[in-house]
Amino acid sequence: MIQFDRVVKRFGERVVLKGLSFTIREGEILFVLGTSGTGKSVLLKNIVGLLRPDEGDIWVDGQEVSRLAEESYFPVRKKCGMVFQHPALFDSFTVFENVAFGLRRHYGMGEGEIRARVRECLELVNLVGVERKMPAEISYGMQKRVSLARTVAIEPRILLFDEPTTGLDPVTTNAVNRLILDLSRQLKTTSIVVSHDMHCALAIADRIMVLDQGQIVAQGAPRDLMRSEHPLVRDFLAETLEGES
Amino acid sequence: MVGGFRDIIDDIGGGLLFLGRMLSTLFRAPPRSHVVFDQIWRVTTNSLSTTALAGFFVGAIMTVQFTLQVKEFGALGYLGGLATSGTIREVGPLLIAFMLSGKVGAFTSAELGTMRVTEQIDAICCLGANPFQEIILPRFIAIILSSFFLLAVGLFMSIAGGLLLGIVFSGITAEEYLRHIPTIVTAPSIAGGLFKCLSFALVLASVCTYKGFTAAGGAKGVGRAVVSTAVATMVGLVIADFITTLVSDAVLAIALQG
Repeated sequence: MIQFDRVVKRFGERVVLKGLSFTIREGEILFVLGTSGTGKSVLLKNIVGLLRPDEGDIWVDGQEVSRLAEESYFPVRKKCGMVFQHPALFDSFTVFENVAFGLRRHYGMGEGEIRARVRECLELVNLVGVERKMPAEISYGMQKRVSLARTVAIEPRILLFDEPTTGLDPVTTNAVNRLILDLSRQLKTTSIVVSHDMHCALAIADRIMVLDQGQIVAQGAPRDLMRSEHPLVRDFLAETLEGES
Repeated sequence: MVGGFRDIIDDIGGGLLFLGRMLSTLFRAPPRSHVVFDQIWRVTTNSLSTTALAGFFVGAIMTVQFTLQVKEFGALGYLGGLATSGTIREVGPLLIAFMLSGKVGAFTSAELGTMRVTEQIDAICCLGANPFQEIILPRFIAIILSSFFLLAVGLFMSIAGGLLLGIVFSGITAEEYLRHIPTIVTAPSIAGGLFKCLSFALVLASVCTYKGFTAAGGAKGVGRAVVSTAVATMVGLVIADFITTLVSDAVLAIALQG
């Protein structure tokens, strides 16, 4: 479970998160929607401690984490796999070494077990036969999928996705969305997905939260949000309906 | 002016905290040895030929300069001792360290800066690993050990360069050139030179890892990190040179009294 309690984050004079409070249940898929610059990525980075809130508390699995020392944060981060907006692959490692990175550090696995797990994770994202390639030798879409495989490999209990399908083709987008759904349903993984894609959100989210200028302006189950009268939500829905027609 | 001064104070404070975090990681979670050896191998092989070449010419320059001076006093026999002493105690370590700061420092700062702005360092954190243990400490240790070794090689090559120019330019024999080296270049002066090499390696490793790790702002940020690495390393080396000279001379004075 993740809980935000009146979280404020400032960058100089600019207040990006303005007293955000919400709770995510275990196994829930929460989509965070909003226009660019509304603090969606900042929200995710506050959970994993890459940014720290200026005010308020953040609870991860019953532990208050916002004031943890950097070294004490590592076990929390191990629970929270994060898929970045850009692939963020280690460019001096092969695809195999990228996916194996977390396994080598956290599990006492033999080389055979690591190979099997890496293959399994790459198959999850429809990638086969690229293990020996360097990140620069594969397409951007493939890099994003490797990044997803690397995060999933260590079996985090909480998955944070920062625009996971941006720049992907429709087939891969569907595969990634299906993967988020499967992980959540089968492994009870809690997922927070930051996205612009209302269509995906309506399809797989348990709950959708809409952020505007650092505040929650609407939230609820997809069918509740369909009835929202908030102008920003209507804009998102209009875009989705236009795309479908 | 005030902003610039504040930036310097910020940098020194940030750098000290960075070093503190690195030391605490070193004792609590030391880096894996094979990663450190990989880095040592990479830094050494990338810079060995350049350092050797630079060292050779530093020795050659010193010999040419001293030739003009000692000829006036008819003391050409002391050329080897004076040129070698000057090279080992002062000019060699400093010039070779400047050269290494351009090669090793700029490369490391650019590499770490790129890892920072492309979120690779954040990705390491999010996989539950410690970036200091994974990427900073291996580079820091490797740069210190390799730079120390490279500086020592550079100094050895500077003696060879001085000797060759002594024969070709100054017209003395190898035996004449080498004769007074042991008289003038004593064990304390060699120790002083090596102490400088170690100090310069420490400055270089600290500045480039810190500047790279704290880079921000995309490609421009990486560019800024590399430039400020070059500037801060040069300034740091000159200050370190001044301090080590004072320390070495004080130690030498105490040794001579004893």
